[in-house]
Formats: sequence, C-alpha cells, structure tokens
Amino acid sequence: MITILKNLMSMNDNNKVKIGIIGIGRMGITHYSILNSHPDVSIKAVVDTSGHILSLIEKYLKGVKTYKAYNELFRHEKLDAVIICTPPTLHYPIAIEAAEKNIHVFSEKPFTTQKELGLKLSEIYEQKGLVNQVGYVNRFNDIFIKVKEYLDFEVIGKVIRFKSEMFSCTITKAEEGNTWRDSQENGGGALFEVASHAIDLIIFLIGKPDKITGSSLTKIYSKNVEDAVYATLLYRSGISGTLNVNWSDESYRKPTNKIEIFGTGGKILADQHGIKIYTKIAFPEYKLSQGWNSIYITDVFKPVPFYVRGNEFTSELYHFIECIKNDEMKNRCSFRDATGTLEQIEAIFNDYELNGKF
Amino acid sequence: MESIDKIVFGDNQFFGINHMSQEKAQQLAEQFFDLSNIINVYQIAYDFGIRAVMLNSNDRAKSICDHFKNNKTKYPDLTWYPSIPYPHKYANLISEKGIIPTINEILFKDNSALGIIGMLANGGTAVFDKDAIKLMKMLVDVEMRMFKGLNVKVIFLQNLITDLILGYEVKEIFEGYCNYIKSKYKVLPGLITQNMPRLLEKLKEWQIEEVVVCSSFNEIGYLMSPDIESYINAAAQNDPSKYQLMAMSTLASGAIKARDAYAFINAQPIQSVVFGASSLKNIQETMSLINLKKL
Repeated sequence: MITILKNLMSMNDNNKVKIGIIGIGRMGITHYSILNSHPDVSIKAVVDTSGHILSLIEKYLKGVKTYKAYNELFRHEKLDAVIICTPPTLHYPIAIEAAEKNIHVFSEKPFTTQKELGLKLSEIYEQKGLVNQVGYVNRFNDIFIKVKEYLDFEVIGKVIRFKSEMFSCTITKAEEGNTWRDSQENGGGALFEVASHAIDLIIFLIGKPDKITGSSLTKIYSKNVEDAVYATLLYRSGISGTLNVNWSDESYRKPTNKIEIFGTGGKILADQHGIKIYTKIAFPEYKLSQGWNSIYITDVFKPVPFYVRGNEFTSELYHFIECIKNDEMKNRCSFRDATGTLEQIEAIFNDYELNGKF
Repeated sequence: MESIDKIVFGDNQFFGINHMSQEKAQQLAEQFFDLSNIINVYQIAYDFGIRAVMLNSNDRAKSICDHFKNNKTKYPDLTWYPSIPYPHKYANLISEKGIIPTINEILFKDNSALGIIGMLANGGTAVFDKDAIKLMKMLVDVEMRMFKGLNVKVIFLQNLITDLILGYEVKEIFEGYCNYIKSKYKVLPGLITQNMPRLLEKLKEWQIEEVVVCSSFNEIGYLMSPDIESYINAAAQNDPSKYQLMAMSTLASGAIKARDAYAFINAQPIQSVVFGASSLKNIQETMSLINLKKL
C-alpha cells in the first residue's frame, strides 16, 4: 500500500512542471516565491553567480539544486521550463541553449538587447512549438486589460492620438557607472529598462508604430546611459503618439505607467490603479454613462491564488504555466510581441543618433 | 498572549499610499509633506481615544517617532505597532546591486551606531554564508532603532516580505523572526500578509503560535488571496489564543462605504482593526462604526 502511495506521489511530482530559475536578483526572488505557490510546479534548481546566495538556498530550500553557471544547469537537470532573470545580454544565449533542450522559456524584459536576436528566438520557439513569454507585466494588469477591452469595443471611437508615460525612482543619485544598468550594451538605461514597459503598453493597446521621430535621450544621474526619454510615434493609419519616460523621478514611490488615449468618440486616461474615461455616448453594456466615468482597480480586479507583489506578477507566471499545460492556450506576451518592443527601442536609439544630437 | 488593541491607527494616509488612486495618493503626500500636519492628525486621533498606532519604518517615520519620544508625557498610554521594513528601500538597491551587497549596505553603511563593528571584526561576511536567521535579526535591529524608547506592543513584518518568504515556505525564517521578537523585544511578533488563509495554515503546520496576523479584510475581497470565502472560513476556524487577527484595507481604498465596511467587519470573529484617516470627521465616524464582537 505504501509503495502504491509512494508511486502515486512520485507520479504526481512527475506531472508537475519542472522549473529552473536563472538569476536570483529582484525579479528572480519574486518569481521563485510565486511559482513555488503553484500546485503544479516543482522548482528543481536555481542558478546564480553569487556563492552567498547559493549557500543560503542550499541551507534553507532543501531539495533545490544550485549552479553557478546556466550551462551546468542544462547539463545536469531535466527541466520543462526555465525562468530567465539575468542581466539582459545573457537572455539570448540562455534561451538558445534552452531551445536546444526543448525547454519552455519565460524571460524577463527587455527580452534581448537586439531585435535580430529577438526575431531569431521568436522563430526558433515558434517552430519548435515551445512556450515563450516575456515579463511585460502591464499586459496582466486588470486596469490595462480593461482599457484594451474598451478600445476593442471602440468605446472612444477610432484612436487618433495618445501619450504613454512611465515614471519611477530607480536612479536618483549620481551613478558610478559600473553596473549592468549603466551600460547600453548590457541592456541598461531607462529606454531598455523602463521605457520598454511604456512601449509594450502602446503595442498591446494600440499596435506597433511605423515610424519614430523626435527622440531625445537625457542623462540625469547616470554616467553612460539615458535616464529620461522622449519620442514621437507615428502610424501609417494616421495615429500619432508620444512617449515620455523618466526613471529618476523621486516623486513616484512606485514605478507608474500612465496612458492617455484620445479617440473620435472620447478619451481614456489610465494608470495601473484606475481609469477615467470620457465618452460622447453612453455604453450601458459597460456601465458607462455619457461624459466622465471613473473605474478603479477595486472595480475590475480578479483575485489571484497567491499574492506577492501585485496581482499581475502572479497572473503572468500562472499564465505561463497554463500555456505549458495546455497547447491550445495562446501566450499573451510572446517573444514575438516583445521583439516588437525591441524594434521600437532600436528605432529610438537610431533616431536620436541621427537627428537628436548636435 | 497579551490582547492587542481593538482599534489601531494606521499610517498609509501620511505617506502618499492609496491603492485605488495615485491622484489621491499624491494629494495626501502633498498635504502631509509637513510633519506638523501629521502630528495634528495624531493629536486628533489621540483626543478621540486612539491609544495604538501602526507605523512603517520608512524614511519619514523617524521624525514621527522622535516627536512622540520627545513628548512622552503628553501621550503616556500610547502603544506602538511598528511594521518593518520599508520594502521599497530594499527593492531598488537589490535590482541595482544584488541581494548580498544590498544587505551589506543597509547593515554596514551609516550604521556604525549599531555596534556592528564588533560583528565585522568577527568575520563580517561570514555571517551571510549560512545564517539567514542571524542576518534577519541584524536587519530587524536596524529597522527597530527609530522606535527605541516608545512603548511597543507588536512588531510586524511588512507584507511584501512576509508573503515573499511564505512563498518559499521556509519555516525557520518565520520561527526565527517570531522567537527573536519575543525574546529580544519582549513583544508580540506580527505578520502582515495578503494571503491570510495560507499563512495561518502554514503557521499551524509549523506550530508557530502567539502571533498577530494582519491582513486585508473587506467585503469585496480586495487584496485577499486566494478569495474572500477562504478568509471568512479561516477567521471562523481561528483560535484567537494562538493567532490574533487584525483587519486592514477594510474600506478597500475607499471602494466600500464605511458603514457597510464595518457592518461586515464587525460580524467577523477578529480581534482588531487598523484604519487610516486624515480628518476629524473620518476618525470620529470610523471609531463609532467599529464594534468588534466580544469573543
């Protein structure tokens, strides 16, 4: 009887999605905690370059293997999926190696540092039918999901112009210039790190722009990279918008995305916590009356099974697991989606190089 | 276990924290930029009978603590419920420098007064190698410095940290924290969480008792994971001699009218409510509406 039970239990464990987490920094810590709460997930191993971190993990997380290099992880562990939370330049080689082993990948944003690499990974993963997701968490925020619903239903008519902004207090004093965050080659700087979220939100809600112009990259505290970004985004359809990002704004306690969208039938103002929407006509099916309406996160949130940093962080990872378990499920933030953001980032860098410098 | 205060006055309103609206949060931040405006609100609350205050150890909390330390005779019976740490302070540093350098910086930079030099002499970073509990104790001491001299009743671990560790399911950290708070500070350990049913279940499993558990509790289930039913069941089955329950976010950042919110809360078998308010009218109204069941 005990043997049968044991077999049953190990079979259960075999049915679990076996995961490795690469990079135990801020995001790696959070992802571990959330994924470990998932009943169908078993975290098998972690990779980090810090011996201190690994020795703590060995002591307190029994049964979890530790590695100092990701190729050791791939060599020794049989995994279903990896979560990549390293500095951005490492995302590409890790994802390539994962693909060779037929391993599903969740990569932190900004995915890779070059659109060609992003495109290549998208093709490989699509061809192999492996789940591929990037951590653009706003796509899982209940408010922005609602905004998308309003836009799809043309509650504000045809979109004409927009403004996408993001502010945070990430870099608020002079930088020594020796971390990956202060190097564009390594995927640092406000454009890769922060503006990428604001650009992804534009692509998610409105679509991919066709032209970038009027870009400016401003240093405030960083030695080698930009701390603030402006850009104008143009569409062949006639839509236009602006991007305004500053990661050195101490007046924001938490990273904040703001979006303003003007359409032929009204206007939407939204951030992670609420929507103000003005409509020319009423939409009873959306409980919107003519004129100004306010919708708060408390009106639209969907509870998550386990909460650590915000519903969206749990939702994105649970979605990743769901996609692994269910072939039919379409991923809501694929490598290809994220490559779209990389294209825009590159276009902004190029536009600034060509037209923004004196 | 010593009984906690039924009504505790919170601090979110002072620090530009509002889960529903960033605009509202900004307005509050502007209003309370001036410390004297904060002190005035505390005075109003005290005059209305508030005797317990929850305060997060953020950058501005120190000056609030200093005020109350310097005016102790004015508030002889006021008790304190600190919550530690202020997680955003750590969050940016961690993504910038990594975990270990962050801990290093927080413990060893500008903290010579802590007497840590002795520890450094004893092999500084060796501490980090294997002993997270020792590390946690040192961090608790750093965060608790500003509250020294105040009459502390419960020391809460802030929810981001509690829930992060809960996800890892590491018994030793919770056990270490609770024991340290009891033995060193001689007060009740508290845990703030957005996953109350799961936390209670784990604490029971690990036999960690005599803990105060503070969680969001409101009739729309906002910030209550996995769902409102699990909260109501967990509270109904709870043994308050082992775990005293405290409700926060009772108004769900203003989504629920105070009268409805407290009609719901008063019907729950919980021991305490923490609420924040910044006007005489709201403090008065809330205090008249909170009427927890006698258990």
